Amino acid sequence: MTAIMPTAVDLPAALTRAQSGDHDAFAEVIEQHEAMVYSLAYHFFNDRGRAEEIAQDVFLQLYRNLGTIESDAHLLFWLRQVTTRRCIDVTRRSRMKAVSLDDAGELRAAEKKHDALLDRRLKTFIEQLPDIQRAVVTLRYQEDLDPSDICRIVQLPVNTVKSHLHRALQSLRRKLGEHP
Amino acid sequence: MNLENDLRRALHRESPAPGFAGRVIQRIERDERPARPVWWRAAAASVTLAAILGGYAVHEAAERRRGERAREEVLRAMSIASEKVRIARQEVRQIGSH
Repeated sequence: MTAIMPTAVDLPAALTRAQSGDHDAFAEVIEQHEAMVYSLAYHFFNDRGRAEEIAQDVFLQLYRNLGTIESDAHLLFWLRQVTTRRCIDVTRRSRMKAVSLDDAGELRAAEKKHDALLDRRLKTFIEQLPDIQRAVVTLRYQEDLDPSDICRIVQLPVNTVKSHLHRALQSLRRKLGEHP
Repeated sequence: MNLENDLRRALHRESPAPGFAGRVIQRIERDERPARPVWWRAAAASVTLAAILGGYAVHEAAERRRGERAREEVLRAMSIASEKVRIARQEVRQIGSH
């Protein structure tokens, strides 16, 4: 499990140089965390173009706030929190179109034991979850965070996070059962 | 089927398209490029205005010269015509006196 709360230790050299305006050092920081930020957005939207756009925006925001980052753990926490919030904000603003059940029907017809197909179905069903459940599921299973860590990122009580997680899993099980 | 394991597999981290860091740095550098100062914009506006007014003045002067040339030609034509009429009258008068 990764520590996610900020601590005032262990500021990596690249981050220190980036804070003094070194773009190459900031590129190193990006390369270190781009997969995490991009994947959080990609799994939230199931859309690579939108994930790229959001990940770029998050790193631009990080660049403007580099002076406030105190440690590598703080950086991780900050990136997860800002990415998650941005995904939720974008969804609330644009109310993105969910994948229709016709697509799920097409998936149903295909070979069900195939892992890649199951992954696609899961991603489709995750995309149909309410935004907060989507965020919680992504943080739990992509980032392997406990509800006690997730609750700090999404700023909800831990029991509410557990409840969202429970409801999301129920919903996913039901959908997988309806479209085996 | 273990849903939690399936979710971990489906939601594994993926990398963005190659060159992601470079694209972010490009955006940062574009944002950091200093905006042109106000005096620069005022100077550019003045040059543009001067060019427009200058062009208009040149156009007006050319129009005026063309008008004057046309007027001179009309006057010359009238003068030639009037001279011809005078000569014709003179000839008619001479024929009449014979």
